[in-house]
Amino acid sequence: MKIVCLLKVVPDTETRFQINSDSTDVVWDASIDYIMNPYDEYAVEEAIKIKESIGADVITVTIGKGEEEKSIRKAMAMGVDEGILIENPDLVNSDPLSIAKAYAEVVKPLGADIIFCGKIETDTSESFVGPAVAALLNMPVITEISGLEVSESGIVATRDASGRKEKFESSYPVVLTAEKGLNEPRYPKLPMIMKAKKKPLAKKDDAGTVIRTSVKQIKAELPPSKGAGKKLEGSIDDIVGQLVDGLQNKDKMI
Amino acid sequence: MSIAVFLESYNGELIKASKEAVAVGKTIAEKTGKSLFGIVLDDNVDNVISAAGQIGVDTIKAASGVSLYHPTMYSRFIVNAGKDADYIILPATVWGSEIAPQVTVKLDATPVSDIIGVEDANTFKRSLHGNKIHGTVKAEGKMIITVRAGVFDVPAENVVTPNVETISPETMDSDSIMKLAEILASSTGTIELTEADIIVSGGRGMGGPDQFNIIEDLAEVMTAAVGASRAAVDAGWREHSDQVGQTGKFVSPKLYIAAGISGAIQHLAGMSSSEIIVAINKDEEAPIFKIADYGLVGDLFEVVPKLTEAIKKVKGL
Ligand SMILES: Cc1cc2nc3c(=O)[nH]c(=O)nc-3n(C[C@H](O)[C@H](O)[C@H](O)COP(=O)(O)OP(=O)(O)OC[C@H]3O[C@@H](n4cnc5c(N)ncnc54)[C@H](O)[C@@H]3O)c2cc1C
Ligand SMILES: Nc1ncnc2c1ncn2[C@@H]1O[C@H](COP(=O)(O)O)[C@@H](O)[C@H]1O
Repeated sequence: MKIVCLLKVVPDTETRFQINSDSTDVVWDASIDYIMNPYDEYAVEEAIKIKESIGADVITVTIGKGEEEKSIRKAMAMGVDEGILIENPDLVNSDPLSIAKAYAEVVKPLGADIIFCGKIETDTSESFVGPAVAALLNMPVITEISGLEVSESGIVATRDASGRKEKFESSYPVVLTAEKGLNEPRYPKLPMIMKAKKKPLAKKDDAGTVIRTSVKQIKAELPPSKGAGKKLEGSIDDIVGQLVDGLQNKDKMI
Repeated sequence: MSIAVFLESYNGELIKASKEAVAVGKTIAEKTGKSLFGIVLDDNVDNVISAAGQIGVDTIKAASGVSLYHPTMYSRFIVNAGKDADYIILPATVWGSEIAPQVTVKLDATPVSDIIGVEDANTFKRSLHGNKIHGTVKAEGKMIITVRAGVFDVPAENVVTPNVETISPETMDSDSIMKLAEILASSTGTIELTEADIIVSGGRGMGGPDQFNIIEDLAEVMTAAVGASRAAVDAGWREHSDQVGQTGKFVSPKLYIAAGISGAIQHLAGMSSSEIIVAINKDEEAPIFKIADYGLVGDLFEVVPKLTEAIKKVKGL
């Protein structure tokens, strides 16, 4: 069994961003901490669990611009065997289809039985790469899974879709994207952290694919602020009364 | 040249997120003068077609007899129905987000994902970095657009009888490599968070799973969906699918009531674009109060039941 995890590195979810001087992007400076995309942690954890139950080689593939090695080493400390890192800022800033094509090109020769992604990444929130890579490689895809059983012949996955619980079956190869709830990602232990430093990480600067920018970001701004909050004054009965009055008569919510 | 909208439905019911996608389609139609048509796949297409006719969709390409969802089959059908369109618009639901990239690849088109605003025919607003930043993107070429649920208003009623072109869905081979095996539960019996106009959420301040009954009571009288903070979900008090935030659902209801939620940046990421925010928290320093339209400082176990009673009274329940 071979499992490839597409691992994206994103700014820490606590990051407070500044807008750059020409308002086209946020400021990317040294104050930003980078982490493994939270959903990719579920994907990596699930891959490691499969490795522990039926045996598998687990490889991560990352497209990045130079901030990624720490997160890849963390995935290795969780149990990933090797990594591939394509460092290319132009590719990172290209459109999602170009990124997916680069992935497909890199992943194709690896012969994966399962390609694991996160359901979405927390910075640009495209939810695009997993199903696009699947289409490019002619593989089936099941997104946003929160339950998985694997056997020699295939997988059974469950997910929540618009309030329904759906169950899918597939043979290999298959692309899966991980939703929160799939598992509890482990904390790497010190011996694994030491071991991870020596695991193979192949760095390349290109995937050999065409880079397009059919979607360009032209502006970045802070969302309209909600204005300063208002606190209601008085006893509990008073403030509940003021709230209901406001919701009913001013906001017409009830 | 035209605009295609995937009218996602389930069991003959057109979902609200599809109507919001129609609203986006109509805005683009006004800006470009292009015509709009809907794409329907369902077992009971008549119901969906009439629901689409209620909001002015006058042309529909429909495949009936589709009882099981299959992402590859849906993608192929949408590619066939929409290949000549300049825009294909889908709701950014689980299905829509699963199908859209496959359609984009097949048509070698330009993906514009999860939009929250339309500036002009090729310029759109997106929510970035957990809604801490709004980005404007300019796209070129044939666009496959997904629309974040709950952001756009459903189009006003404008009843038409749609012209329907029936297309037979491409059948998948019976031994297709992947299939939807079963719908384990067709509905969890609750209102879906991203479809709800009102959401009542509880956090760590609820203290345990049983105490959520006061949140459920309030939600019931308000016909609201129930949400939760990650702390409440990780404690095992609520389902993962209830989580609101950066690693949960992005919601923007008309009214969001947060009880016993401090307002961590990752929670705000998922709900700060709600129209009206009510915060109930006993700590007057809680960051949630900074964005609340109505801040109620007090013990939620006192405030929430009183609020439920007061609303019952005004609603005559
Ligand atoms: C990568 C990452 C992703 C995350 N994603 C999310 C996410 O998607 N969604 C999310 O919600 N969080 C997320 N978090 C977690 C987030 O940082 C907070 O830990 C979490 O939101 C806190 O939940 P809470 O407000 O319920 O709990 P707390 O912060 O513990 O707040 C509880 C609040 O309840 C109040 N309270 C207690 N008792 C009462 C009472 N009787 N009456 C009234 N008030 C009371 C307290 O004053 C307090 O303000 C994420 C964190 C990380 C690191
Ligand atoms: N630059 C990247 N490097 C590695 N993985 C990525 C990258 N972009 C997207 N992915 C993968 O695709 C998933 C969804 O990302 P997105 O489609 O960008 O929301 C992520 O969780 C990753 O698994």
